[in-house]
Amino acid sequence: MGVHNSINRGKEITLTIDGKKCKSTFGKTILEVARENDIYIPTMCYLSKVKPIASCRMCVVNVEGVEGTILSCQEKATDGAVITTNNSELYTERQNIMKLYNVNHPLECGVCDQSGECDLQNKTMEFDVAEQPFTTKEPHRPIQNWGHVSYDAGLCIMCEKCVRVSTEITGDEALQLHFGGYSSTILNVKQEKNYASLGEAAAVCPVGALVDTHFKYRANAWELEKIPSSCPHCSVGCQMNYEVRHDKIYRMSNEAEFTSLCGAGRYGYDYANHNVSKDTKAFEDAVDAVKNAQSILFAPHISNEEALILQKIKEQTGAKLICGEARGYQKFMQAYASVTGKKLFGGTLKGISESKAVIVFGTRINDDAPVVKYHINMASKWHRARVAYMHPLEDAEMKNIVTQFIKYEPQSEEGVAALLVEMLLRNVDVSQNVKAFLDDLDIGNLSAESNVGEEELEALRKSMLKKEDFSLVIGADLYAHPRAEQIAKILALVEKYAGFNVVCVPPAGNAMGVSLICELDDKATGKTVGYNVEADVVLSALGNGDLDMPALNQQEGTITTVDKRVVPMHVAQPYGGYVLNDIANALGLYAEYTIDYTKTLPVEKGFKAVEFDALPDYFDSVGNEHRGYLLDVCHTEVEEMFEEVDEIDAFDGAVVYICNPKDQFSAFTNLCEPLKEEPFLLGSSQFATATKLSDADKVTFEIDGVTFKRVFKIDTSMKGTIALNPTYDMGLSAPLVSSYRFSKVKMMQDKKRGS
Amino acid sequence: MGLEQFKNRNVGTQNYTMVDAGHSPQGAMCQFKQVVKRTFKGELFVGLWVTMRSMIKALFANDMHTVKYPLEKLPISPRYRAIHDMLRLLESGHYRCIGCGLCEKICISNCIAMDTRYDENQRKEVSEYTINFGRCIFCGYCAEVCPELAIVHGPRYENASQQRAGFSLFEDMLTPIDKLNLQQEYDGFGAVSPNADENIKQTPLAY
Ligand code: SF4
Ligand code: SF4
Ligand code: SF4
Ligand code: SF4
Ligand code: FES
Repeated sequence: MGVHNSINRGKEITLTIDGKKCKSTFGKTILEVARENDIYIPTMCYLSKVKPIASCRMCVVNVEGVEGTILSCQEKATDGAVITTNNSELYTERQNIMKLYNVNHPLECGVCDQSGECDLQNKTMEFDVAEQPFTTKEPHRPIQNWGHVSYDAGLCIMCEKCVRVSTEITGDEALQLHFGGYSSTILNVKQEKNYASLGEAAAVCPVGALVDTHFKYRANAWELEKIPSSCPHCSVGCQMNYEVRHDKIYRMSNEAEFTSLCGAGRYGYDYANHNVSKDTKAFEDAVDAVKNAQSILFAPHISNEEALILQKIKEQTGAKLICGEARGYQKFMQAYASVTGKKLFGGTLKGISESKAVIVFGTRINDDAPVVKYHINMASKWHRARVAYMHPLEDAEMKNIVTQFIKYEPQSEEGVAALLVEMLLRNVDVSQNVKAFLDDLDIGNLSAESNVGEEELEALRKSMLKKEDFSLVIGADLYAHPRAEQIAKILALVEKYAGFNVVCVPPAGNAMGVSLICELDDKATGKTVGYNVEADVVLSALGNGDLDMPALNQQEGTITTVDKRVVPMHVAQPYGGYVLNDIANALGLYAEYTIDYTKTLPVEKGFKAVEFDALPDYFDSVGNEHRGYLLDVCHTEVEEMFEEVDEIDAFDGAVVYICNPKDQFSAFTNLCEPLKEEPFLLGSSQFATATKLSDADKVTFEIDGVTFKRVFKIDTSMKGTIALNPTYDMGLSAPLVSSYRFSKVKMMQDKKRGS
Repeated sequence: MGLEQFKNRNVGTQNYTMVDAGHSPQGAMCQFKQVVKRTFKGELFVGLWVTMRSMIKALFANDMHTVKYPLEKLPISPRYRAIHDMLRLLESGHYRCIGCGLCEKICISNCIAMDTRYDENQRKEVSEYTINFGRCIFCGYCAEVCPELAIVHGPRYENASQQRAGFSLFEDMLTPIDKLNLQQEYDGFGAVSPNADENIKQTPLAY
């Protein structure tokens, strides 16, 4: 893993800042060294998570022996430098900058959403600017509503943070600078898309220029209690704070200086199971049902503690535990571990962002895990990384960062994996077994069957020559593949022999935690109880089951993230009903609170015996993450046993691909007002021709026993004969859809609409 | 300032004057005598006459020294801090409150509750505003902190009501729109000083 850790590169240096001896390593800026050492240098445009912007000049310092002033945010610290961060000249210079920022700035702190946490407000006070001494003619700049965010050019200080976030981090590339002296503004060049990722730009805006439209004018910053937590929607588990007043969540914020949220995380907060009280009768019935259930079905949107409770119930009653998505991932990772010898993949998100080349395979990553895509985008923007996107379906939203799209036929992933590995390991020393396996591959045939041209892989190989730091991002298409285990073993070779930073993005919610904690079964039998899943008796946090359960923002617990970190969630919304732990207690287990289980999470799977209340949850002043703990690396036996690559039975013709849009993950995000969107079966006009559908036709089809009634919509940005079918609106049935994501379905077209 | 003057504990030459307080009676007999003497002196009737005279004047000459509350009330000082008033802008009649939330924040007894929203005219609208007068201590901080002179203390000090919620809603406190011409500027806590005009520095305008 060390190769990706560029932070520790460079030699030790010592410098003096304001008379204090500071030790650091070469490669850091003066500002970074100062912050490491708790020395304050004022900044206006500096944002730790992007490259230095250097537009404000507030961070000026004097360096002994250097004429004039130096911008500490972009100048690297050198050994032996003697630096002064403050004297009367620097103070005056900063004061003058603040005077300029205040030119024509409206005196509207009284109504401004940023008031109370506004950098301009703070620094204006700090540098004692009591008047607005200068003025200029104010152009008419009306407030613009861009959907999720609104922009008020009159308040904008042109610090550029939002633009940098939109390009370097989220990659939506919607925001641009428009220069024009005092009429400079920020432009949204993709307004029609209403990117929820612009919430990230609003989060870093130091003033009230860019704000959440949903939040605008509803509360003041100081009235909101910040409840730190972790986002439970997808497997990334981003850091976030619920901002709550009077038991109501007003908005989400995060440590925007260092980390990011996707659209669903930022705007998908209002999914609590409201107004629940204790229904004793329903509870007793539920306890009975659990006691007698032969199978317990559940969605992977639960905490680690709940997963452990389910596991303990299983141990007590002998019920089967069914969680389709997590089961696929569990088997995939077990097979993967049999090659690498480590229970989990070795890669990290940070590793992705530091890569010089990234291969994405088996996932529509921008929709499956937007924050993982952010990290690929960072690699692309910071290191001009090559990004190879291998998928049957091109993604228009990835176009700006993907350097090579490699298309393959659905269900040919095993062959594609073999081709990829053969290419990557061509000049690498491997074990006997592996060598035999690779030599046995019939490249020509695989290439023909999967439709991946040898020259395409050759081009990819060439583009990676003379580079280092590579990442491979693997996704949910592969976990539910009929040949998942074989694919896992093949791809594990990339981590083991090619030294890649491999990240196997878990398919949903806390699927990783569940797959580590529970002994899952494949098929449900007999009487069933469902936890957030359709079954004979349903426990549901969606408010429509036989017994109410708390949603994940109503309970304490931990989740396991793609970074293999166990992070805490806290209670943001009141809940008056029963929880899973009550059922477990009624069955004879005993724990006063659900979080009593935190310290008993299985140590042999990498968890630590730490109390919930002892879990840290913060970023330090230089952005190191102290949230929960990292899973320990657990070793298993290595056996490199490969089967022959199976006959590829690729699909052709019209195919449906299970995929939620990027701002929706589950029935929970679907409850959230700001994210509401109509579910469609989305396909290209080519798909329409192949299936004889036209725009707005209604179709019915079945996948995994779940009946979908969909309106078909033509998306002109799509190509090919694969259509996207979401599941987020399917409520309790959604978790049942867990087989291979591509399927050939029989579409029954409903009667044509009357003309 | 040094502490020297406090450390000098020599307060100088003193000039005390003794007050003639008379003699107090010595012994039980003397005390008894004093009581008898005071009881039968005409002073008692002098006092009774004063009362009688006032009563006659009040009853027949309509000359009275007390205020006939609640039929009559004394004018109170503009600085008096009673039930709050919410003022309006004189020109437009719009309420002055901009919903900044400073009064809510500063309120020492935490009795102001408010809610705001983004209205159709892109303004911050005050959608809820109440003061719980069961808790208000009439400290005047809210009036002082208000940047808009929107919340002030009015002269209404009679706080009895059939309902706890009486006169504590925004509409109850707001100047009735038809009485806008009668709206008084407040002189009390938090009001602008009489020479405010002299202190104002105009924000420079380029046009
Ligand atoms: S951006 Fe800051 S300084 Fe400007 S009005 Fe808003 S709170 Fe005040
Ligand atoms: S909108 Fe905000 S973040 Fe963007 S340039 Fe203006 S002040 Fe900076
Ligand atoms: S007078 Fe004092 S206690 Fe009463 S509402 Fe105002 S700030 Fe609160
Ligand atoms: S301080 Fe004044 S303007 Fe601000 S919310 Fe209170 S009454 Fe309204
Ligand atoms: S922080 Fe260095 S120029 Fe803005």
